[in-house]
Amino acid sequence: MNFSLKVLYRGENAWDFIGVSRRVLMGSAIVVLVCVVAIFVRGLNLGIEFEGGGVWEIPALSEVTTDEIRDAASDVGMGNARVQRITGGDAIFRVRGELTPSESTESVISEFAKAAGVDSETISTRSVSPSFGDEVAGKARRALVVFLILIALYLTLRFEWKMALGALIAVAHDIAFTVGIYAIFQFEISPATVVAFLTIMGYSLYDTIVVFDRVKDNERSLSAKSRMTYPDLANVSLNQVIMRSVNTSITSVLPVLSLLIVGSFVLGATSLQGFSIALLIGLIVGSYSSLFVAMPIVSELKNRESHWAEQERSAEVLGTSNAIEDAAAVLAADRYDRSSPPRPRKKGRKR
Amino acid sequence: MRRSHLVSLILVVVFTAASLAGVLSAGWTPVLGVQLQGGVEVVLRPADEVSDEQFERAIEIIRNRVDAIGVAEPDITRQGTQVVIQLPGVKDKQRAVDLIGQTAELRFRPVLQMFDPTDPDQLDVLTPPQEDDVSATVALLGSTGQTGFVLGPAALTGEVIEEAAATFQGQWIVNVSFNDEGAVLFDQMAVANYGRQVAIVLDGVVESAPTINAEEFNGQAVISGSFDEAEAKNLALVLRFGALPVEFERDDVRTVSATLGEGTLRAGIIAGLVGLALVGAYMLLYYRLLGLVAICSLATSGAILWSIVAWLGESRGLALTLAGATGIIVSIGVQVDSNIVYYERIKEEVRRGRAVRSAADGSFRAAFSTIIWADLASLIGAGVLYQLTSGTVRGFALYLGITTLIDLAVSYFFMRPLVILVARRLVGERPSRMGLSNITAEVTS
Repeated sequence: MNFSLKVLYRGENAWDFIGVSRRVLMGSAIVVLVCVVAIFVRGLNLGIEFEGGGVWEIPALSEVTTDEIRDAASDVGMGNARVQRITGGDAIFRVRGELTPSESTESVISEFAKAAGVDSETISTRSVSPSFGDEVAGKARRALVVFLILIALYLTLRFEWKMALGALIAVAHDIAFTVGIYAIFQFEISPATVVAFLTIMGYSLYDTIVVFDRVKDNERSLSAKSRMTYPDLANVSLNQVIMRSVNTSITSVLPVLSLLIVGSFVLGATSLQGFSIALLIGLIVGSYSSLFVAMPIVSELKNRESHWAEQERSAEVLGTSNAIEDAAAVLAADRYDRSSPPRPRKKGRKR
Repeated sequence: MRRSHLVSLILVVVFTAASLAGVLSAGWTPVLGVQLQGGVEVVLRPADEVSDEQFERAIEIIRNRVDAIGVAEPDITRQGTQVVIQLPGVKDKQRAVDLIGQTAELRFRPVLQMFDPTDPDQLDVLTPPQEDDVSATVALLGSTGQTGFVLGPAALTGEVIEEAAATFQGQWIVNVSFNDEGAVLFDQMAVANYGRQVAIVLDGVVESAPTINAEEFNGQAVISGSFDEAEAKNLALVLRFGALPVEFERDDVRTVSATLGEGTLRAGIIAGLVGLALVGAYMLLYYRLLGLVAICSLATSGAILWSIVAWLGESRGLALTLAGATGIIVSIGVQVDSNIVYYERIKEEVRRGRAVRSAADGSFRAAFSTIIWADLASLIGAGVLYQLTSGTVRGFALYLGITTLIDLAVSYFFMRPLVILVARRLVGERPSRMGLSNITAEVTS
């Protein structure tokens, strides 16, 4: 491990991503399948924003028990309310239930305040109509469809449709995985979580675009007589960008991890929690999928094009042992062939 | 060092410092959202189809009501088919919720009879809300719930009220003035009900039932009774803003206590700072001097962002919400990524044998192209989300978009010249200063 990290740090890595991609893709496909099954079997734990109802967040004196709060809930006609003690900071209880028509919001709050031994001003409430969730979900769905169409168009114009397809499959993979985790562990899904899912999509695409950009860049700098195959081209590009991917993942994950551990667990700001769990999973999976899902799919598709299939056949005839290192050398040579000498000290060149 | 780079660097620093100084000296600070300082957030949706004009007027009325209860920084926006009302820091939360939610028409109905609603025999007499029709005879409760009223068809509605104010003249009274149409209708009602009570009904609740003691009002009425100050002012508010042309449903009502809001804010700030420190430390360890550049870029972006957020709060009343704040924390990753994309390009070129200074110069074009294309995807996402969603998601999209734009500008005008400067002056022929040494084990393992 130490060895490979050092290699990575020095930029001497020449790993065969595409070579292992079939097996990795298969593994990913199985994991995604498990996640999708989990979503259908276990279902999602939807927050009140989607189901309607009320939530009361009650900071309480430390000696107050969950049962006392539950009794208070029964007294105001919410015997089936879900009462949770939110661990983390001081005693905070979270009651989720349906307000009965005979009780006013004030009387419920004052009942809880009495049970918790606090002033009613300190209680936070939320009540959502049952139709609100449809509205939120409907809007998110519409935004999602428009976003995906625009991104597909954008990637097709900027790169090509095969890359757009690869990127979208990678995004679908990330979302399925993250939502699957939410289904398996029954984490609650709120609009904040939906925001996180959308962020994951954006992030995954962003990451994939950085990879594709490098592949396109390398492809352009290939000379016409180059014999490089597409998998080699993909491999070289992936090896070139992997350090960036690793570093970006680390620097993106650190703030989110801090949000989750420091903000949510240590300081008890539960509103930060739902968001950061989804982001954490999504960021990691997004980086993974750019390298191991998006690019291998593109490579697979491109290799069927006549030009690249030709290259593949001639490479098989010649047979090379260090294909990736050779390819990197070829690429470097081609690059300098094409452009100016290695040390361009061009004076007075305009930006 | 090309002169243009130095100029760009100096301009960015001066601009950033000036905007930050301007914002600070003007005393502008970001307006914090409901979840970050406590307050009330209400999402309303019209119960039926309404015209744009009605919708806008209803929002105007809601705005008046909110202004009347004196909220420092209310944010009332129409987002698609919803109205999102955010009242950060509002003191009397329950009253604010009630006032915003009072959506029904204000009606004046003659009192035909009064009854005792606590009497079990009388319970089923009460008119259910869906049958509370303007032209029907109804049985409704008073606001205390202790008195029942049987009321005739409404003689006039709140739309004809021009002004209502509570004043103290030995006792608290409410002065009401009507428009021309209202003056005629009110006088007609007064003639028909002289010496009897007329109920002021809002939301199916009898707010007040004054006795008519004149037949001619000429558009001016005085309501007196045993009001205390709060009751009189509340009645005046109800009269003034009672009539919304649209009936709203409360989709989402959220009250956040000040302690919870402050706790979230504190947790967010501490977590953000810890995250930033970790990112900074990592960048320093890995990229050495270039890591320092990354930290400077982050600081510059942060200062610009602060100025923008404070300006938006001051001029547009746009609050920094919890979702927005998380968007900003997420954007730290994107920000730093722009640095990383560039640095990795430089390192690659240097490994191929290019001199550090020429690599720094030459790599930017390719790196920035990558940054633009990747950021463009983020911007498309932010734009779509902002246009098509509301509430939480929208707030997030706004700040994601803003930070992405800042990232592009800072990358081009600040990071690039600073990297080139550092590469020439400080790194020179010693690549180890930017994390390219041959002895690297202690950093990476």
